[in-house]
Amino acid sequence: MRYFISFFLIIAVFGTVNAQKKPVVFEKKMVLVTAGKYKPFFSTKSNKPVAVAAFKMDETAVTNQEFLEFVKANPQWRRSKVNRLFADTNYLRHWKSDLSIGESNKKIYNSPVVNVSWFAAEAYCKWKNKRLATVAEWELAARGVPKNIKQKSLTDYILNWYTQPNLPVLPNVKSTYQNEFGLYDMNGLIWEWTFNFNSFIASTDSRGNDEDELKNFCAAGALNVSDKSDYATYLRFSYRASLKGNYCIPNLGFRCAKDLK
Amino acid sequence: MCKRSKINKMKFLLFSLLTVLLFGCSNPENKSAFTGELPKQNVAPVGTISSESLYQLTDTFQTQDNKEITLSSFEGKPTVVGMIFTHCTYACPRLTADIKNIEGKLKDENAKVNFLLVSFDSERDRPEQLKKFANGAGLDENWTLLHGSEKAVRTLSVLLNVQFEKDAEGNFSHSNVISVLDKNGVLAFQKEGLEADPAEILAAIKKLQ
Repeated sequence: MRYFISFFLIIAVFGTVNAQKKPVVFEKKMVLVTAGKYKPFFSTKSNKPVAVAAFKMDETAVTNQEFLEFVKANPQWRRSKVNRLFADTNYLRHWKSDLSIGESNKKIYNSPVVNVSWFAAEAYCKWKNKRLATVAEWELAARGVPKNIKQKSLTDYILNWYTQPNLPVLPNVKSTYQNEFGLYDMNGLIWEWTFNFNSFIASTDSRGNDEDELKNFCAAGALNVSDKSDYATYLRFSYRASLKGNYCIPNLGFRCAKDLK
Repeated sequence: MCKRSKINKMKFLLFSLLTVLLFGCSNPENKSAFTGELPKQNVAPVGTISSESLYQLTDTFQTQDNKEITLSSFEGKPTVVGMIFTHCTYACPRLTADIKNIEGKLKDENAKVNFLLVSFDSERDRPEQLKKFANGAGLDENWTLLHGSEKAVRTLSVLLNVQFEKDAEGNFSHSNVISVLDKNGVLAFQKEGLEADPAEILAAIKKLQ
């Protein structure tokens, strides 16, 4: 009889522990980014401003803890199992193991997940019934006026960020500024994947005009930029152009977007 | 003695309970995360791309004959791939001509190679339009032209390192890349630019046969 009592006790105890361990279903807050016009940064004769419809965007970048839930539910995205075509060897290298960020990494549980590839970011968003934002959407969202920065302009803020070395411990989300749409950390924390990061930046479908020559020298595209003073944007586009889909980089993360219903 | 067996019994109970709990916790779902099923194991030697097959993609495409296929249907022969759009007036006809030139140089062996054109233009390049383009350009049964969803086309462009962007008028600026996949769908050779000397590509194809 005593065995049975202990048995039930054990079940009861484990049952509670088990119930507590169940991941809390937590929906990340999304905010509305209103419709607008996006002027391609590298303009050619043929690319006019593109109309961008209103959409929803994650308030912050996806965190390590959030990404861990995804990895748990999708074994093919574990560090030891992921296919090299879809993520290089740096994939989640800052985690302790496949299913653990690590006790010593407690400070970054709520920091943006980095060292994730475009394919991993895509897969995560799909899992959440969301998608990555396009370059046009992301740029439009990032243009939102900051609510609380010391610098005179957003460009000054970004350039100041670029001059800072990477911090040894990546700060948590919401640790920089919030903008008019309610989005946090669009600049100042990490770089972010976009759906069409591999967009073309200098046209080769040229009809025999001077653009043919432009592509033959370094930084040729810079001659066509819509605002030459915006060095910050230029850097962002160059950074994107240098990426490949399976790259995993310590300062590159993502957030998801969604169409309005 | 009796006490010992009690402890053992307890241990046994605990053990079975833990086992049940552990296995009960493991996620039985094997949900696909990417575009469908991905291989469960990482077959690639770390840090190389050479044993990676594009035929793992499960996105479906439609051919110019309105047949629903996945890329894996090209398995068995080396495949020459280009990405184009048919409303393109300048670069794409030239890229197509470049690949036709390669086909011509292969002569009798061209039946042992797949020629594949994938359109950037998910909106306008439907099967009928692709058929019209194929007929106009004189592309025979060795050629497959594919229409895919925006997501499928973007994914393929990322894997083939092709850059492209849609403009406000629905046309595309894009880089011009000819890729050669081996018979297992692994990227074997790439050449960027128009009117490139086909010698290198021909050599790459021959090596794969």
